[in-house]
Amino acid sequence: MAEFQCVIVTPEATAIDCMAEFIAVPLYDGEKGIGAHHSPMIGRLGFGELRIRSRGKETRHYVDGGFVQVADNVVSVLTNRAVPAGKVDIDSARSQLQDAIKLPSNTEDLQQVRERQIQQARGQIHVARRANE
Amino acid sequence: MANARALDKRRKSIRNIRKITRTMELIATARFKKAMDRATAATAYTQRISQVVADLAQAGLQVSHPLLEARDEPERGMLLVLTANRGLCGGYNGGVIRASIPRLKELREAIPQVNLEVSGKRGIAGLKFRGIKADRTFTQFDDQPGFDEVEAIANRYLDAYITGELDRLDVCYTRFISIAKQEAVIETLLPLGTLGDSPKEESRGESTYEFLPSAESILEEVVPTSFKIKLFKCFLDAAVSEQIARMVAMKSATENAGEMIKQLSMTYNRARQSQITGEIMEIIGGVEALNN
Repeated sequence: MAEFQCVIVTPEATAIDCMAEFIAVPLYDGEKGIGAHHSPMIGRLGFGELRIRSRGKETRHYVDGGFVQVADNVVSVLTNRAVPAGKVDIDSARSQLQDAIKLPSNTEDLQQVRERQIQQARGQIHVARRANE
Repeated sequence: MANARALDKRRKSIRNIRKITRTMELIATARFKKAMDRATAATAYTQRISQVVADLAQAGLQVSHPLLEARDEPERGMLLVLTANRGLCGGYNGGVIRASIPRLKELREAIPQVNLEVSGKRGIAGLKFRGIKADRTFTQFDDQPGFDEVEAIANRYLDAYITGELDRLDVCYTRFISIAKQEAVIETLLPLGTLGDSPKEESRGESTYEFLPSAESILEEVVPTSFKIKLFKCFLDAAVSEQIARMVAMKSATENAGEMIKQLSMTYNRARQSQITGEIMEIIGGVEALNN
């Protein structure tokens, strides 16, 4: 099966650099699957689960926003954090969600900040739940 | 001539000091390598971000964002000073503190309200000694600053900037230029000014990119990210520079101790020799007296 290079970079390190057959990334509005020889693309990521299928094995990670860039059969994912799905801390995500809901939202800017926090927490909870299934 | 035994005692204590400084040098070397590796790992991300920026620019997008534009009349400023938690690293902390004080004064004259935030126990103590109180302090950053921790601070600044509670952010830290050269600098991080370190980065995919959802929306995300990365780089640079400064300071301390030991050994030998000579003279004197 056709393969492509998949690189996941966080500010601290290059988390993953491998060959993959398929990768599903959480875009800002839903998931997008990318196979080999995808057309060049830059997409904005949301908070959610990233799946990589490499030689029949699937690995899952939680990614925390960022971008995905596809060019020359290389998929680069730039994200703040890439945590293996099993290691997502569901309790701290839950408490973040509780705190975020209490944030004020009387102006548009504050609303955006609140929205972002909520999405981030929900993304983590979702990934952690799926990993525990 | 000094007492030989006292000299020997001093020599022993200097030997102990040399042992300690030598160990500290080795520890600093190991930590420097680790910190350096982290800093190198971070460049991969920076490069890719600047490539995304280059691709965006090639798509004909006008790069404009509230974080990039300077505000006409800044009212609230912030100075972040990055120092070490520990001393014994030569002029590292002093350099940063000396650079930050004039800038703080300058800012306070130009902007009505300026807050000061300091990271590192040395900087907190040094500024307190000079009568400058920090509004917020951090001591959790050591030789390996984590992105999570830096991001929390960056997010706070970003939120404050977006909601208008902050108009300008300056960071005073030690920039790593090469292993032989680091200097204390002050950078204005907010407003950002330009995006990325090397805007001339070659674009790979020509301008056939498909932007999801749109180039503008991606730019909206790129700008805060590059601010966070810049701030993170400041912390990384400061950590690397601290270890280098400590390495150099401890190396020269070790060498200095070695030299002192040499000097003391010489004086000690001379003292011992003269003591022996004195004793022999006494014996000879006694023998002579008996013979007479």
